[in-house]
Amino acid sequence: MPSWQDFQPFIVTGLALGGVYSLSGVGMVVLYRTTGVLNLAFGAVGAMGAFIAWSLINTLSWPAALAYLACVGFGAAISLLYGMLTGPSLAGRDPLVKAAATIGLALMLLGAMSWIWSDKARSMVLPTTNWQYSVGEVQINWTQIIALALGVFVTLATAAFLRRTGLGTAMRALANDREITAALGVPVRRVEATTWLVSGALAGGAGLLLSNLVGLDAATLTFLVISSLAAALIARLRSLVVTLLAGVVIGLVNAMATPIFSISSYRDMTPFVLAAVALLFLARHQQISFARRSR
Amino acid sequence: MRVTRPRIRVRHPATAVVLLLVVLLAMPQALSTYWIDVLTAVAIYSVVALGLGLLMGRVGLVSLGQIAVLALGAWVAARLDFATSIPFPLVLLIAGTITMVLGTLVGLPALRLSGLYLALITLMLAGAITVVLTTTNFPNGGPGFLGHTESSFGNPAVRRPGIAGGDAAYFRYTVIVAALMFTLVFWHVHSRPGRAWAAIRQSEPAALAAGVNITTYKLWAWALASFVTGVAGGLLAGSVGKLYTYQFPTRDSIILLAVVLMGGIYNLWGAVVAGALMKLLPALLDNWGLPPDLLIILFGAGVLQVLLTAPGGLAGQVPKDLARLGQRLATLSGRRAPEGEAP
Amino acid sequence: MQRNGVFARLTLVLVASTVLVACSSHKNAGTTANSTTSPKCGAGTGQKATGEPIKLGAIATKQPGTDFTDIPNMAKAFFDCVNDNGGINGRPIQYIIETEQTDPGQVASLAKKLVESDKVLGIVGNTSIIECAVNHSYYEQQGFYIIDSGIAPECYSTPNSAAVNMGPRYSVDGATQYLLRQGAKKLVLDQSNVPGTGYIEGGFLLIAKDAGIPTESLKDNVPIQDANSVALKLVQAAGKDGGVVLNFTPPEALKILQAAQQQGLQDRVKWACSTPCNTDFLSNALGPQWNGKLGVNAELNLTTATGPDSELYRAVQKRYAPNIALGSFSQMGFVEASIAVKALMSVSGDFTVTSVNEAIRNIKDFKTDILCKPWYYGTASLHIPNNTDRTVVPQDGKMVEKEGCFAISDVDPAIAQVRTAESAG
Repeated sequence: MPSWQDFQPFIVTGLALGGVYSLSGVGMVVLYRTTGVLNLAFGAVGAMGAFIAWSLINTLSWPAALAYLACVGFGAAISLLYGMLTGPSLAGRDPLVKAAATIGLALMLLGAMSWIWSDKARSMVLPTTNWQYSVGEVQINWTQIIALALGVFVTLATAAFLRRTGLGTAMRALANDREITAALGVPVRRVEATTWLVSGALAGGAGLLLSNLVGLDAATLTFLVISSLAAALIARLRSLVVTLLAGVVIGLVNAMATPIFSISSYRDMTPFVLAAVALLFLARHQQISFARRSR
Repeated sequence: MRVTRPRIRVRHPATAVVLLLVVLLAMPQALSTYWIDVLTAVAIYSVVALGLGLLMGRVGLVSLGQIAVLALGAWVAARLDFATSIPFPLVLLIAGTITMVLGTLVGLPALRLSGLYLALITLMLAGAITVVLTTTNFPNGGPGFLGHTESSFGNPAVRRPGIAGGDAAYFRYTVIVAALMFTLVFWHVHSRPGRAWAAIRQSEPAALAAGVNITTYKLWAWALASFVTGVAGGLLAGSVGKLYTYQFPTRDSIILLAVVLMGGIYNLWGAVVAGALMKLLPALLDNWGLPPDLLIILFGAGVLQVLLTAPGGLAGQVPKDLARLGQRLATLSGRRAPEGEAP
Repeated sequence: MQRNGVFARLTLVLVASTVLVACSSHKNAGTTANSTTSPKCGAGTGQKATGEPIKLGAIATKQPGTDFTDIPNMAKAFFDCVNDNGGINGRPIQYIIETEQTDPGQVASLAKKLVESDKVLGIVGNTSIIECAVNHSYYEQQGFYIIDSGIAPECYSTPNSAAVNMGPRYSVDGATQYLLRQGAKKLVLDQSNVPGTGYIEGGFLLIAKDAGIPTESLKDNVPIQDANSVALKLVQAAGKDGGVVLNFTPPEALKILQAAQQQGLQDRVKWACSTPCNTDFLSNALGPQWNGKLGVNAELNLTTATGPDSELYRAVQKRYAPNIALGSFSQMGFVEASIAVKALMSVSGDFTVTSVNEAIRNIKDFKTDILCKPWYYGTASLHIPNNTDRTVVPQDGKMVEKEGCFAISDVDPAIAQVRTAESAG
């Protein structure tokens, strides 16, 4: 067993990793709360945006800031397109069907990315990564801080927005029942569009940060969503704060297990095991029949 | 996954038998070893698709971890095969049974969850199993419980049944076992469990009121799906001989979902279509010099198309289209008055 | 249904526009090959070969995360050059490249396709994570002697495979020897957690033990999601004056090294890497903080080396394969193809599976300035013909040589076996 001294730096890396999981997890829960769609293509959208930004910078020599904007814009645009095209037809269906449809989108994006940017080692270095400072033995950089901070910001801002503003209430109503909300005179298409646009922009931004923190690799970024999903599941897709905290805890446990060599190779199981345990624990009082429709 | 009454009809049992005979007898003569190997994989993954299609189409449950279940079945089969000299059919049976037991153990708590959560928890469990398998690896004749050795000097392959050592013979063997699995599921669907599942999918409260034990029947479907997938795992172990974690990526569970949807979940033939989409289409694309990434795009588009417009998938759609064509032709030739479409 | 049509069309538009963006960026990236002097390969006649093609085949891994197709693609470039220069006694070489996605069933069936359907006479340029393991028995049955760029252990321990590289185990050995020479007091090996780790760490452990240095052998699942923790773990395990040997594909190694640098750890221990790190791309991505600090085991000479073979390699790349990067992958493809051509040229009489593979097996004393020592095949029960290496280090965006050719330690038993066989005949 390593000493406490040796563990300390892993707390810092754990928080950074937790920021990664939280950011994606919060992004997915936000969209779920507002449209009833669990967007499993969250990672793929962000990844494609990051690849586009990389191409713009490295082969078309665009200035970095414009490329980052393009990435965020792409995320917003494709999410909007998807939401508008599939929203009406999937409106009354089970959340499972809506989530399965996003798998379709994720596969299309993944295939497109593999095809267009065939696999070579690429890296995306954001300028914020070069701004570093030390905490004890470890150096952290601003990209990691931004990832964590963005997760916190989105959590707090969305929570306040959904509860306090008219548009937020409309979004919550929309997620609950589209038909009735429309019947009440809420401009459903516009509200839906806004939600998808914002969520897509967040996916693009997250993709940019993650491509720096984890690596610019299509498959990795697309399937990172599975680990982030664990954080969202622990929060039962409801509480943004719990998602944030769960993501941080998963990151911490994962990192802290790293120096313990006997279990180190199993540490990638952390998100899955924690989510499975949390879900089964929370379901212990439910019967198998009449299993409630998930909200 | 809800849709109105599915049509569970085997229109022409004779067709199925004739097709089976053609596949068993004619294909190995006509095709090269390469294509026979590809079709063996199609047969194996059809059985996996059968399991998932059963869950989704009959009971409305989605599992995103069927490839991990396949890996478990393959692991058990390989371990038994190396450690004992049990005959191959028995190995398949035991592998299927152990997988069924493990599946049921998971299903007991997991089935309390509703649709989306169930799908996600299966994804989580599959992820966990994949990580464990990466560390334990697959048996390859080595010692100990895990049966894995790192020796580099050419490890043995999983042995095949005595009567089916060669590739063509193993293909026939696989097709026969696959046909048995399909028959098993078909028999379930057309007897009491099938009716109970249909009732559950229509309306759980009504089914409960009618005296259907929902817990038991959901678990039964889950167990059946795990059993056939376990058997498929055993077939896979015999087919490839050497097992690696590379063959069972999480991505494949997602692709399996896509092809099962595209093949059609309300019709057992859909599983065969799904197997072909998953294993035959990539080989064809490679033959024509096209990149395999196109296939992933196609599957994504397929999922969207099925969910948005055609819930019956290809197996549901094509017969309908053919039937419609047949009716049009019959009307044209004056043999029949124009009818309304079959529902 | 109308909605369905609209959806389909919009998807098409989206995909088309993305493709257009990517294509335009690709156009800028590629260079037009406009060499006025065509390189002379093979017979060097300058005349296109016509006549019945001689078929050769190859199997390479190509999937997200792993793409080895540069190797057979470069071999094909060399074959194209040979075909433009008279071919093999006037006959062109037809090269069939199959790609696989690490599915053992697929890998096995592709070998059968090449041998039984396509009826290739020889197999050259195989580069696959599992191919040697899955197919070596089949090749032994069919009498094929493969020239490959081996990865799986069976590429180096079975009679029908001889590689131009030395594979992960012996490359890790070379990196270990480098660190020992640098004075490391403890050695840590970290590799990707894929099948074969036990085989790869074998040599590392023996060599360190023989030198009396304590070791730690670790694994990490790929793709790595928390490179920071990994880099930290390695530095802690190595301790003061320790050394770390990495065995990963370039993107994963890059993650660890960049994470190490972002945490200021590149000076805390001595770093070494097995041969996959030997690319200018990596040196470029690492930047000047890593100058001279990462010892990479190089199985082949620098791509900038002088020498007739290296010059021919660059000329062929420029003329026939401008989109393939200069680097160890394409060098391997070039060397494998050169060996194959020499073998084919030595065939007298008919070209059959037997005569071609006999010729390949008889290759002896194949000299090239890309390898340290002459390459050979032979009749031994295992082949490690490339067992002498260099060490290169990154310097200002390129890789430069730090240590010239040195022998891989024969503390590793297979190497000892090979050396004995070499000195015997």
